[in-house]
Amino acid sequence: MDLSAIINLQNHDGGWSYRKGGGSWTEPTVLALLAQSVEKADARSVERGLAWLRSSQRQDGGWAPRPMVAQTTWVTALVALLPRNVIGQSHHASAVDWLMRQSGQETSFLYKLRNELLGYDSSAPQATMGWPFFPGAAAWVSPTAMSILALQKAGRYQAAASIQQRIDVGRQFLLDRICLDGGWNYGRSNVLGAEAPSYPETSGQALLALNQMKSPKLDKALAAAQQHAGSCQSSEGLSWLRLGLQAHGIVAPAPPRELRCRNVLDSALLIIALAALRGRNVFLE
Amino acid sequence: MNNQITRRQALTASAACLGLTRCSLFAERQPLPRVSIVHANYNQSIYDTVRRILVEHRVDVRGKRVVIKPNLVEFDPGTTINTHPMLVHAALEAFRALGAAEVRIAEGPGHRRGTLDLADAAGYFETIPKFEDLFTDLNLDDVSRVLLHAPFSNLSSVYFPNTALAADLLVSLPKMKTHHWVGATLSMKNFFGLVPGGVYGWPKNVLHWAGIDECIADIHTTFPRHFAIVDGIVGMEGNGPIQGHPKPVGVLVSGKDMVAVDATCCRVMKINPAAIHYLRLAATPDHMEEEFIRQIGEPIKNVQTSFDLIPLFQSIRL
Repeated sequence: MDLSAIINLQNHDGGWSYRKGGGSWTEPTVLALLAQSVEKADARSVERGLAWLRSSQRQDGGWAPRPMVAQTTWVTALVALLPRNVIGQSHHASAVDWLMRQSGQETSFLYKLRNELLGYDSSAPQATMGWPFFPGAAAWVSPTAMSILALQKAGRYQAAASIQQRIDVGRQFLLDRICLDGGWNYGRSNVLGAEAPSYPETSGQALLALNQMKSPKLDKALAAAQQHAGSCQSSEGLSWLRLGLQAHGIVAPAPPRELRCRNVLDSALLIIALAALRGRNVFLE
Repeated sequence: MNNQITRRQALTASAACLGLTRCSLFAERQPLPRVSIVHANYNQSIYDTVRRILVEHRVDVRGKRVVIKPNLVEFDPGTTINTHPMLVHAALEAFRALGAAEVRIAEGPGHRRGTLDLADAAGYFETIPKFEDLFTDLNLDDVSRVLLHAPFSNLSSVYFPNTALAADLLVSLPKMKTHHWVGATLSMKNFFGLVPGGVYGWPKNVLHWAGIDECIADIHTTFPRHFAIVDGIVGMEGNGPIQGHPKPVGVLVSGKDMVAVDATCCRVMKINPAAIHYLRLAATPDHMEEEFIRQIGEPIKNVQTSFDLIPLFQSIRL
């Protein structure tokens, strides 16, 4: 699916669905707009998409996965990845404010108190704050990586110490979760004493969020990501690996076979990842 | 001696009486749940086997919309993580043969986002003709909010995919596996895949914080029109549902009553069903007792095999 096919799938309300004929969702809408930002955009399509996003912003400053869901979630980070002058300064600022107020439930005072009273170990991995997919749940690698990238973008507009502090803590969250094989699982690297394997998509996202960072741990992570790229079985996974490796100056190896884009999300990500290979990584602008 | 009873004792006694009354009514009015255990293999014979199971259980799907929900978890065709594609295809063909108006296959994996890629790696595209046309990714489907009445969890509502909500019959096709959080994952736990990742994320961690067992029971209550065929031809033991080891049992366990089906699977796995919290929550008093389940096909003792359990769950051994 090329960019024109993505544009053709735009809904009448201005948003995009994950699949043909479905209602509009925030995530594919943001990615369709980011894909248009790296190729020849259809100005009317972009404006309609932005209008849909602006109109679906919730009163708390964030976005729901789709407007009929009565809860702001991690997809707010994706909207905040759009340039501030594109989505609008006030929309962007309130999205960043919402993100700054979120953290995994495992770092909440009540949870830590409960663990203390029950005598559970609350050290290391729980100590650093990441972001959850859904408020009230634990922090995970994907929403943490997207939130870090959104805050990095916000930091380019306003140099606030509090934003940099959250970025640093979020990056430590990611570093704490590197798996034994060097990459990232979707959550912790060890569950009930068993080492968790890393995945292509989460490894790519984490490396992207750890852009410009130098750490011995990252050497192994970069090697693991290249290995994943060479055997990757999903277009989405390969796109994130390409983006993550490109953020560290490495071109991902080709997969063993051509990988199909299954939906708008895959297709938009592929366009964005290929643009990164040409030198323009929209997540890092 | 004080003969007065406290309010708590009175309430307890009332509840016990009510429970006995319900138990008695259940025994008098409700037919016993039927659960079949049938020998099966991953070869051409599975098509006939599944058709016979549906006939045996008098599953009437004429003119109805059927949604088959397998268990797709990981990109690893070499292990027993996913429901075998031949079983899914056999169920699809059997429901079509029985006159269903529409049969779809649908799944919303818990932590990997590329559902169609997962299905491809698991052999579904290769085994099931026109698979992509028949399949709905429940993680990305349009959703509706469903209010939970008297929920076991602390959730008051859950968003569910419209494809699942519109089904006249939801067919749970899980793997017979141990599970490192709840002991065993069978037909009821398989319905976690009905909860959309597009709303709750990957994983659907909100359900964990609301209580995994309680949410399993809530989802079970929300979708009362169901049938289960558990893929125990080769199950998974040890650190399931992902990092365990293959466990050949050679059976399909089926029935309309998912609590009875899962309790029977537990006995096959030498797990005490009464020690599985979500089964206790969802069960009426009789459901889990062996004597109140009408067992057909192979007797449990003929196929029973001890599934390895992680140390945390040694106490659930039957």
